[in-house]
Amino acid sequence: MTLQSDTVAKLDPEILSLNSVSLWQITWHRLFRRRSAVVGLCILGILVFIALTAQWLAPYDPTRSMLDVDPPQKIKARSAPCIHLLGCPEDQPQHLMGTDGNLRDQFSRLLYGSRLSLMVGFSTVTFAIIIGTVLGAIAGYFGGWWDNAIMRIMDVLLAFPSLLLAIAIVTVLGPGLINALLAIGIVSIPAYARVMRASVLSVREMDYVSATRALGGNNLQILFNRILPNALTPLIVQGTLGIASAILDAAALSFIGLGAQPPTPEWGSMLGAERNQVFTAPHLVFYPGLMIMLTVLCFNLIGDGLRDALDPRLAQLS
Amino acid sequence: MKRNISVLLSLMVLASLVLAACGSAATTTSATEAPATMAPATEAPATEAAPTEAPIPDVSIATFDGTSLSVPAEECNGDYIGAIQSVVATDENTVTFTLCRPDPAFLSKIAFSPFSIYPSEWLETASATDRLEKPIGTGAYVVSEWSRGDSITFTANPTYWGDAPEAETLVFRWSSESAARLLELQSGTVDGIDNIGPDDFDTVRNDSNLALLERPALNVFYIGMTNTFAPFDNQGVRQAIAMGIDRQRIVDNFYPAGSEVASHFTPCAIPNGCTGDDWYEFDAAAAKAKLAEAGFPDGFSTKLYYRDVVRGYLPNVSTVAQDIQAQLKENLNIDAEIVVMESGAFIDASGTGSLDGLYLLGWGADYPHITNFLDYHFGAANPQFGNQSDTYTNLLVEGAQIGIPADAESIYVEANNAIREYVPMIPVAHGGSATAYRADVTNPQAAPLTNEYFAVSDPGGRDVFVWMQNAEPISMFCADESDGESLRACEQVTEALYSYVVNGTDAVPALAESCTPNEDLTVWTCALRQGVTFSDGTTFDAADVVATFNMGLNIASPTHVGNTSTFFYYDYLWGLMKKPGA
Repeated sequence: MTLQSDTVAKLDPEILSLNSVSLWQITWHRLFRRRSAVVGLCILGILVFIALTAQWLAPYDPTRSMLDVDPPQKIKARSAPCIHLLGCPEDQPQHLMGTDGNLRDQFSRLLYGSRLSLMVGFSTVTFAIIIGTVLGAIAGYFGGWWDNAIMRIMDVLLAFPSLLLAIAIVTVLGPGLINALLAIGIVSIPAYARVMRASVLSVREMDYVSATRALGGNNLQILFNRILPNALTPLIVQGTLGIASAILDAAALSFIGLGAQPPTPEWGSMLGAERNQVFTAPHLVFYPGLMIMLTVLCFNLIGDGLRDALDPRLAQLS
Repeated sequence: MKRNISVLLSLMVLASLVLAACGSAATTTSATEAPATMAPATEAPATEAAPTEAPIPDVSIATFDGTSLSVPAEECNGDYIGAIQSVVATDENTVTFTLCRPDPAFLSKIAFSPFSIYPSEWLETASATDRLEKPIGTGAYVVSEWSRGDSITFTANPTYWGDAPEAETLVFRWSSESAARLLELQSGTVDGIDNIGPDDFDTVRNDSNLALLERPALNVFYIGMTNTFAPFDNQGVRQAIAMGIDRQRIVDNFYPAGSEVASHFTPCAIPNGCTGDDWYEFDAAAAKAKLAEAGFPDGFSTKLYYRDVVRGYLPNVSTVAQDIQAQLKENLNIDAEIVVMESGAFIDASGTGSLDGLYLLGWGADYPHITNFLDYHFGAANPQFGNQSDTYTNLLVEGAQIGIPADAESIYVEANNAIREYVPMIPVAHGGSATAYRADVTNPQAAPLTNEYFAVSDPGGRDVFVWMQNAEPISMFCADESDGESLRACEQVTEALYSYVVNGTDAVPALAESCTPNEDLTVWTCALRQGVTFSDGTTFDAADVVATFNMGLNIASPTHVGNTSTFFYYDYLWGLMKKPGA
């Protein structure tokens, strides 16, 4: 025994030192070495900062029409951006991104919009992950009749194009942001259930699971203490990428008027409301579109980075 | 590792909860309550409709024998509420209309495109598809192909009795986006487009290749209220809202040039339309005081319903709705939650008076007469504003029977003032709209009744005239349509006894050479144009006129079928020949 451990220590001291480093530390380490993932994390950081501090950053109330301002400002609906630093006359009120059709400050609306989009992304995916994980775990662990019943329902859900199914659900429940969230959450469940089931199936046969069973662990203990933690990695990747598509779906629903209702500052509905002004007031379409793109991009970059970082086959330990 | 995962998971849940809390603060509570509000709105029409669809169906009281359509004369004083007692082919080229009561607007009504004349044989034998998609008329064009979802192609009618159309082929296309329509016009793929986006007026004006035509504002946009729901049952509340909305601000900021603030419900271009006092001046302080006096010093919560469609009277519906919402909050402290409804459901619910809040709707003139505005909306039988007031319903019935506008003026002064006092709704604007054409199109039109007639327009010498409008026609059997996009297409193919002068509102003879009334305006005798043939080759005569009115009015006739078979305009302008079942 002593001889053996001595040999190992002599042969590869680096491996020994790694034993004290957890998987998550390695993952973070790898993630930060991928430039694209770092860019994604930076964008996300900025977005979260904007979302948390919107009420201090925004110069105006996002739902306030400039027509209410006393004395009346010299400004028209859908006026172009006016930035004093860039030569806009001082007697005009400053609107960094111009005003929208209702003479509201576009910049303020954009800032508040980040709250909604992040909220949409995190809450729908959390909802879908919780439900999907439970369903997938039950299907994978117990197998047989459970597996068949749950996974066939998931297959049916997967067979619909997700946005169409979401539209159908919203039509039944009625338009509104919460219903849109629910719809997007429901249509994302199958992806997580599948991933979870696949992981559970492979982990279930591992020796340490058998060992726990031999030591008298019951199903719940095995599922939650042994299987779930080890099946979680692909779920995290899937979830990060899922946030991006959830945000995109919510924006699409709002664009066609089924999601956030006016005057809520939501990027998709801002885009939809001004879509006919693409030539006369391009700033009203450009900025919300840009924000949606950036948000989706950052989650996609992080998701890709996480996938590579968590994949043992791509392991470059040093 | 296990601990790390659970920490990560709980962090994620925590983060989403925090964000959800932040988000809902910014969104207003409207979103969460949306399902609850939608449910009654969509279900309401069904429950409301139940009593009107009584278990006993209406019975037909018409008799038709090929040359004569009539109801017994005594029914005019009984349960029959229709206007036509009989339509008789006196001889091959003469048709006599006998009315139950005088109708000075007869010619304006008879010229309306739903009352176009179809061949009697075709009405009996045409297949359902032909009926809806390839109508037979006497007009300058015939339908050669309707490619659903894409376009309708018309070709010149070789046997047309009038001047041959300028362009051999006419094509109708459609797009609901104003930016897309303008793009097509700029690229030269279409010759004319309808409803320029309000922000694009200057773009078109500054383009030397295009011509902009402003359409006179023969319409009205109003904020409706149903006075069977609290708090709108309180006249003080309705008056307060009427004073508390700055209508000038809405027109100045959200309407195109050529629009005006509505001083009355009816546009001033229509005789007697603007008689009586002007609408309430905007006065936020007085409105607030009025609302307090009515028992709501702190305002109240309600809903603001609308359908998200573009119409000439309301080109920016969502923007205007949000501005009204902001004004209600600012001036009266009324919290109005916006509820966007599907167009059909919205029309059903508002028409039956089952919307429990404010709603945004409007009206475009069908025919240029004050009865088309006031009688339709404020007649005793219309439930859309709840209970109508006797102070004006009786006056309207009286005014409708007077032929010369000047004689009816004093009645309409009184009626308009009574409506102003009662506030069943708030008229906001008469919306200007515009069409645009390529500069080389001759005789470009922006018809006040939105019935552009393209046979008289030459597309710069090209063989094909392409027109792009907002939407696809629903069907082309316009006797049973009420949608302007459909009626415009029918206008090219079918003709009525009279028609409106191109780009105007005066009724001029078309298939009739003249229609002359008797002394008390109850009997109209129409001498028909001779030598006219339908596009299927059959000859036009008096029997076709009687058969057409039989199709529209006689609910027992086998030809009384169409797209929905409601025959809206026959019912609304003449009244179907029926009475309630025993």
